[in-house]
Amino acid sequence: MALPRPLRSTALLRFLPLLSSICILIGVAWLLLLPLDEYSRNTYISENALLPGGVHTYFHGSEQNVFRAYRHEVAALGQQNASTNEVAQVIGDIFKGQGLKVGTQKFKYEAGGRVYEGENVYAVLEAPRGDATEAVVLAAPWLNTDEVLNESGVALVMALARYFKRWSLWSKDVIFLITSDARAGPQAWVDAYHDTHTPPMVESLPVTSGALQGVIVLDYPTAAPWDRIHIVYDGTNGQLPNLDLFNTAVHIAGNQMGVRTSLQELHGHTDSYEDRLRTMLRGMVNQGLGHATGPHSVFIPYHIDAITLQVSGFGNHDEVTMGRIVESLFRSLNNLLEHFHQSFFFYLLLGSKKFVSIGTYLPSAMLIAVNFTIMAIGLWLKSGTKPKTVDAAVAITEKPSDEKNEKKDTEEKEKKDTTSDSSPLPPSSPHLESPRPLLLPLLFLLLTHTLSTIPLLLFNTLPHTLLCPAFTIFSLLSLCLPLLLSFTLHLFSPTPQVYTLLRCFSLLSLGLFLSALATLNFSLSFLIGLGAVPVTFIKPTKCKLVAVLQHLVLAVANPMVALVGVAVYMGEPLGTVLGEAQVGWEINGLWTAVVVWGVWWPAWVVAGVGAWGGGRMVEN
Amino acid sequence: MDRRSLLIIIFAVVLRLSLFTFFPSLPDLLTNRVELSTPVTSFKRLQEGLFLYTHGVSPYDGGIFHQAPLLLAFFTSLPSSSLLVHLIYTLCDVLSALSLITIASSKVPAITPLHTSSRAAALCPPWAAAAAFLLNPFTIATCLSRSTIVFSNTVILASIAKAVSGDAIPAMLALSMASYLSLYPVLILPAVVLLCYDMSGSKMPLSSYATQQGGVFFAAVAGLLGLSWMVTGGSWEFLKSTYGVHLLLPDLTPNVGLWWYFFIEMFDSFRNFFLCVFQLHLVIYLGGLCIRLRKQPLFVCTTMLGIMSIFKSYPSIGDTALYLSLLACYRHVFPVMRYTFFATSTLLYATLLGPAFYYLWIYAGSGNANFFYAITLVWCLAVTVIVADALFAVIRDEWETERPDMKGKDIVQI
Repeated sequence: MALPRPLRSTALLRFLPLLSSICILIGVAWLLLLPLDEYSRNTYISENALLPGGVHTYFHGSEQNVFRAYRHEVAALGQQNASTNEVAQVIGDIFKGQGLKVGTQKFKYEAGGRVYEGENVYAVLEAPRGDATEAVVLAAPWLNTDEVLNESGVALVMALARYFKRWSLWSKDVIFLITSDARAGPQAWVDAYHDTHTPPMVESLPVTSGALQGVIVLDYPTAAPWDRIHIVYDGTNGQLPNLDLFNTAVHIAGNQMGVRTSLQELHGHTDSYEDRLRTMLRGMVNQGLGHATGPHSVFIPYHIDAITLQVSGFGNHDEVTMGRIVESLFRSLNNLLEHFHQSFFFYLLLGSKKFVSIGTYLPSAMLIAVNFTIMAIGLWLKSGTKPKTVDAAVAITEKPSDEKNEKKDTEEKEKKDTTSDSSPLPPSSPHLESPRPLLLPLLFLLLTHTLSTIPLLLFNTLPHTLLCPAFTIFSLLSLCLPLLLSFTLHLFSPTPQVYTLLRCFSLLSLGLFLSALATLNFSLSFLIGLGAVPVTFIKPTKCKLVAVLQHLVLAVANPMVALVGVAVYMGEPLGTVLGEAQVGWEINGLWTAVVVWGVWWPAWVVAGVGAWGGGRMVEN
Repeated sequence: MDRRSLLIIIFAVVLRLSLFTFFPSLPDLLTNRVELSTPVTSFKRLQEGLFLYTHGVSPYDGGIFHQAPLLLAFFTSLPSSSLLVHLIYTLCDVLSALSLITIASSKVPAITPLHTSSRAAALCPPWAAAAAFLLNPFTIATCLSRSTIVFSNTVILASIAKAVSGDAIPAMLALSMASYLSLYPVLILPAVVLLCYDMSGSKMPLSSYATQQGGVFFAAVAGLLGLSWMVTGGSWEFLKSTYGVHLLLPDLTPNVGLWWYFFIEMFDSFRNFFLCVFQLHLVIYLGGLCIRLRKQPLFVCTTMLGIMSIFKSYPSIGDTALYLSLLACYRHVFPVMRYTFFATSTLLYATLLGPAFYYLWIYAGSGNANFFYAITLVWCLAVTVIVADALFAVIRDEWETERPDMKGKDIVQI
């Protein structure tokens, strides 16, 4: 490739690594600046139809007695260790007694040799003022994310069902959903609702309603008074619900009921820089991992906005406050004239009332992705230049004659008005570019990407007991793989140019994937980009010390270490994390593993090959 | 045909058939991609049309089916078996590759009776031309999506291959078939006639030669239209639903081209004016290219196909794949091209970001039409850069052939 004259000189190549590092530094600094007041914004309700907190709520008094009765029933079922079928029967009967249409759904998933089964039960309240084209969902899992009986949550859903039934103002159907667990149950239900399930493992739904507009999940496992509401909003694969739904919940809880809200498990947020940063980073990790953080997560990929309300702390709020918050929320949802669309879908929350929108934060991930592309361009240019000795010779022989020609011919040429320009040729002029062997690097890159299906298949199909040993063996093999592959490559007697092109294509594809990913899942792209940064700077070197350093850096910055890091961060054993990833892949359709093994891992392997083989090349 | 070409063809066939067999959901997934299937080439719509046709309902009555009647006749005469359909599409790709092998081994890209490139030694070998077509992911995806653009591409390449061998009549017949199937290939008629004229070494004056071949072409088209008339039960209704759709753009389904968004935004009163402008825009390149590149009519064909893949009313990835495969025959001028890496990277970026933004718009609901349109603009920009750069390289090569002393000198555009 030839470039415009100023870009063509090889002197520029020396600055590309610098430019690359500047991109990375700016990218990271940019992210760290986001929590400042200057770069973040206060949340606001964008959809005027929502009118949050605009109605008086009537859920109190005698409803509390009904609630207590239901909670008693739930607790009794919990104590008997009733099977999911019995639970569904009892709850279904209660809903039927309230005059609602009731359906049940059995489901069964298998992942890593374990079986996840249960039975969902739900009831549809047909809108007195609607035409069954739209519906909102109030859900509670029987067992919450921590496998604790969601005692008050389930009881409150039933109490609210009885209460909502008496109102004639609903213009959307209301669906009350009790799922038997917090992950597989909601997934089975929402899949079946949209006919994307796989019978007979997941049964079809006997009763359905219109398009789902919003989902509120209650996670309220205690009978004790509580202090604040913890709002969980991350969807699977890093998708987020519309910011308006979140804002409505915060607004109603805070301004109408006087209840504090928290997010990302950061209670006692003081709105300081550190707390904002911590909230944002926790949000980014959750988004990047893409796992289901609550029962609401599985609704979001279907373009249904959903959040989970969890109670936390010990304080002076009780079930009536929660009931009124939910009532007010549903009155707001009931006002919606069209699907949530006004507010943001891409945001990072810094606190319950502060956020950063995509336009502000996207450049940081893009800068990281761009650094790979810059290096790829640099390596491409480098691969086209001839070795230095030849270069110099050519330059010497051509320069003088050219300069003479120029002086002599300038006037004539201007008269003739030719389009030629005969100033001295820079060393990397297109006609001096050496031909590039493209086939070998491309095939090699294809090979490493094909190899990446091995870990993907391995970790998604092995029984969960074998995951940990398999991971250890795989990590050790991965560390040896670059050496092995560079031996294989040496069978084809590659030139240094082959290594340069190999690195060029690997970085190019990494940059490509990460920038495409940044639009889908910003956090994952950013985190993988950060993890893959060393890949940019690994290059063949003569210096032994640098070579050892490079190998050390590669041994630390790789997907396997990152996985261990995730396990440490979550405070779980590695086997659990791998098992979670497997369940996510099998049940929730999680794509994180594909990105880690299919994008990051091959880039890391190629960098390793470059460091091993390329180093030997330089020595020779 | 040498051994390498044969190996590549066998590998490509095995690859396609195994993708069809081992990933049975892949063809349907690709069939639904707007980048691959347009309203005028979609396999799904073809099936719809077939169903209506076999049940005695005119497929051209509704607004669904916009493909040529002879395709209907062809597919109804086949026993309904998906394996057979897969084999037909694979066979078409192989035929295209054979045409490309003919084109490349004739050395016409570098050596024509009027011009011999100074870089002829670096000419693309036939196997590389076949590989560039058969192993191009865009071609494979188009084949798997069973878009009917595959048939048009095959006959276009067959026509060019015949023209390169100097067989004017078969070339005209194949080109008439291509124009019959998808209208726009008629734009390369002048270039193909010039190519036939050069290669056949005819003693006739060009004007009478052109009249004669043009006559053959239009007679063949008239014959095909007559056949279609018979097939559709004596009705000319199909003209409006096929060529009318190409010309008037009633269906605004998104695609990789520039038209759909523009005409969604258009006020109705300006619609006809801009339709004329857009269609005429495609034609204006023809004269200039034919005159400037009179010595290399094959390159006029190639460039016109590239321009069509950007500016025609319903372009798809398949059109670009055809252009790129013909361009591969011009490997000897690649060293003179200036933006290969830039354009290829842009193309790759657009290839990845296109589906991502389409997903955000249609499924996730968090993006909107502007996202996808922006990427189609980038895609078209990349193809435009390649077309312009290849044109530059060929002209530069011609110039260096005329003035060998200018080799290696820089050029500044004024």
